[in-house]
Amino acid sequence: MDVIGNPLRMLDRAADLMTMSLTIQNVTKCYGRLRAVDNISLTVPQGEVFAFLGPNGAGKTTTIKMLTGLLTPDSGTIAVCGHHMATDSQAAKSKLAYVPDQPFLYGKLTAHEFMSLVAQMYSIEPKVAKAKTQYYMDRLDIRSYADQLAEGYSHGMKQRVVLAAALLHDPQVLVVDEPMVGLDPRTVRSVKELFRELADMGRTVFMSTHTLDIAETISDRIGIINHGRIIAQGTLSELRAKAAQEHRLEDIFLELTNPEDPPETVAMAS
Amino acid sequence: MDLQRESAILDRPGPVANEAIAVPGLGLLIRLKLRLLRNRLRQLTDQSPLQLLMVIVFVAVIWSGLYLIFDHVFVSLRRFEDEAIIAIPYVFHVFFLAMTLLLAFSTAVLVYGALFAREEPAFLLSAPNEPRNVVAIMYMESLFFSSWSLVLLGLPLMLAIGQVQGLPWHFYPTFVLAFLGFVPIPGSLGLLIALIVALYLPRLAKRNVIYVSGVIFALVAMIWWSRLWSISGPNASAEWLNDLMGELRYLKAALLPSTWVAKAIQFSIADKPSQSTFYLTITISTALCLSWWSTMIVSRKLLPAFGRATAVSNKPRRYSGWASHLLTRTIFFYLPLKMRILILKDLRNFFRDPIQWSQLAILFGLLSMYLVYLPNFRPGGFTLTWQALICFLNYGAITLILSTFTSRFVFPMISMEGQQSWLVGLWPMSRAKVIWAKFLFALTVTSGTALTVSYLSIRALDLPVTLAIMQAGSTFATCLGLNGLAIGLGARLPNYHEPNASRIASGLGGTVNLIASVGLVAITVALFGVICWYLVKSSRLDRLTSEALVAFLALIGLSLGVAAVAMKTGIRQFKRQQF
Repeated sequence: MDVIGNPLRMLDRAADLMTMSLTIQNVTKCYGRLRAVDNISLTVPQGEVFAFLGPNGAGKTTTIKMLTGLLTPDSGTIAVCGHHMATDSQAAKSKLAYVPDQPFLYGKLTAHEFMSLVAQMYSIEPKVAKAKTQYYMDRLDIRSYADQLAEGYSHGMKQRVVLAAALLHDPQVLVVDEPMVGLDPRTVRSVKELFRELADMGRTVFMSTHTLDIAETISDRIGIINHGRIIAQGTLSELRAKAAQEHRLEDIFLELTNPEDPPETVAMAS
Repeated sequence: MDLQRESAILDRPGPVANEAIAVPGLGLLIRLKLRLLRNRLRQLTDQSPLQLLMVIVFVAVIWSGLYLIFDHVFVSLRRFEDEAIIAIPYVFHVFFLAMTLLLAFSTAVLVYGALFAREEPAFLLSAPNEPRNVVAIMYMESLFFSSWSLVLLGLPLMLAIGQVQGLPWHFYPTFVLAFLGFVPIPGSLGLLIALIVALYLPRLAKRNVIYVSGVIFALVAMIWWSRLWSISGPNASAEWLNDLMGELRYLKAALLPSTWVAKAIQFSIADKPSQSTFYLTITISTALCLSWWSTMIVSRKLLPAFGRATAVSNKPRRYSGWASHLLTRTIFFYLPLKMRILILKDLRNFFRDPIQWSQLAILFGLLSMYLVYLPNFRPGGFTLTWQALICFLNYGAITLILSTFTSRFVFPMISMEGQQSWLVGLWPMSRAKVIWAKFLFALTVTSGTALTVSYLSIRALDLPVTLAIMQAGSTFATCLGLNGLAIGLGARLPNYHEPNASRIASGLGGTVNLIASVGLVAITVALFGVICWYLVKSSRLDRLTSEALVAFLALIGLSLGVAAVAMKTGIRQFKRQQF
């Protein structure tokens, strides 16, 4: 398999489009003269945990914001389960859930109230919403503080509530930005298992992270972005082959994103 | 229980491509905001009943005060029936025109914050919410908060007119409807201004743009006011009246929404319901139309505007910091190095935070402009009584501005520093010195600004040395007292868990400080009034009477005493503080 791959071939057939949960095609985003994301193409099929790696300022968050419809690309297209974000954004967003790196909760709502709000936003039947809320509260250990105002939560507590709320509407694609920051080891284990189970059930997890160990452990494929370009993508063994060394992901990442190498050289090498 | 087994019970059928999308409506977002408001009120009543009580008392005092003033104005105007016929309509026209500008400005600030500077829109827009609904709820929320000023001023105005004129009951609902119908007109303008700033000025500090707009508004108002002043004269001739009416005609332009709402109320007072209803209908229909139109425009441009407003600058500014370093070394040369380092950090924070310096610059800047312009009002100079009266009022204005600044920016300094406990706690410097460094920094910034404005006041009024010393000395002493209070109470009643300085200032400790500061200002202003009174009574502003001297010493003593007690209490608490 080609490490970069050619997602354009996959767009030729509508059936393929449906099996691809996420399709990013020739997407570019500029801030003034800075090309934050430079003509990237990427596909993530159903049932996959995809780890999206890159140094600070590489373009990860911009890509994620475009995936979730918060930013519009200057050129290129993004589709979620076949729904184009530019032309059919409501349908695309209904298949998607997003957990940002800075989890947002209304300070004056309790976790219960927040999850109820999200359930109503996605028009989930009250009975189903209640059962799912209880399930995820138990699973992510939220119940003990579920009736307190969110303004008193720690980062990790907020992160757990936002993750639970994101899963309520059974999204086909879960986009998470730095999911493990602030979580205790027990919850990290729980979240890792949850992501794996979601993927096994045919859902897609698109995860941006700096924690390479987690990417190594649970992801099916890994994409590395640097200077706004995808410089490598594939399974861990494919990346190892590309880097021509039997090292850990950390060594591969550091080699591919070496700041002394000009970005063009790295991209061509991939 | 694993997810797969659980999902067999709970799962909905998996989404398919042509599944109908149920988009949540505006009602859900309205219910969300109401729930937030209810929880906030419940929290206030449970945890800070004193604060809630204080807010209610303050509002009641302000309302009562405004009611009494309006009542007095209308009773006085009724004594001069002919003048009242001309003047009362102008009261409404001026009121609603001023409100148009203020509401457009405040709604622009609030909408910008709500749509482009908070995390909430990102959350709402990443869910399948229509951008139109997101804009609409933020717009409504901003209208609610920005129209408080109108409610605060409008209700006592309505009650005073109704009471003095003995108007029938239907005047009151007409007045309320006119108010509610009017608010969205400037509000929709504010919504569009916020969009324009986000779309086309994303690289500029938005608050600066907004503040500069405010200054431009104020300048235009001042220029217009000075034109009015220039045509005023001792002889109330027909020519003067014509000139005055000519200058005021802009207020009553037929196309201004403020004219429609003013006429709706005037006709209601005159018991002409059909004309009143006509203008009321025009106002409400225009408000609805403009709101719908502006919401549509903003929702269509929301995503690009959000992207631009939240984008990081591609050329972040670099700071060398030499100017602040030089300034600290020059001004605080007498302090030990460690205290200077702390002050240097605060000075850099101050200069790099436009909210802080621009607020000080704008408030004192406006006051300075008025003081520079003041001699033009009376080219021949002011009489002794006017000199003392204006000097007294200027002192009041300076100290009031100082008290708002120290309450908003100086009070939270200790709480914010305490959040860096890993730094402060390990710093090889006594904790008392941390407090003193903060105090000296705040005192230098505020007294430097206040004394400059005080000098302008002295020069504008051409005050004799005695009164000049009284004003400058009182200003410095009050500044010292206010800073001592803010730093001392900031250390005594800190909030180390709140990262937002404005919330610290509006918390319980901040409220206590505000009340204490306003109390100190009230007493010092009264004492300064005594000084001016006795100087005027002796018909000499250049010779100090014994009564004036006693009042001056009392003012100095009070300010120093308040600062000393507050600082001592604060230092004692800060030394014991466990972070």
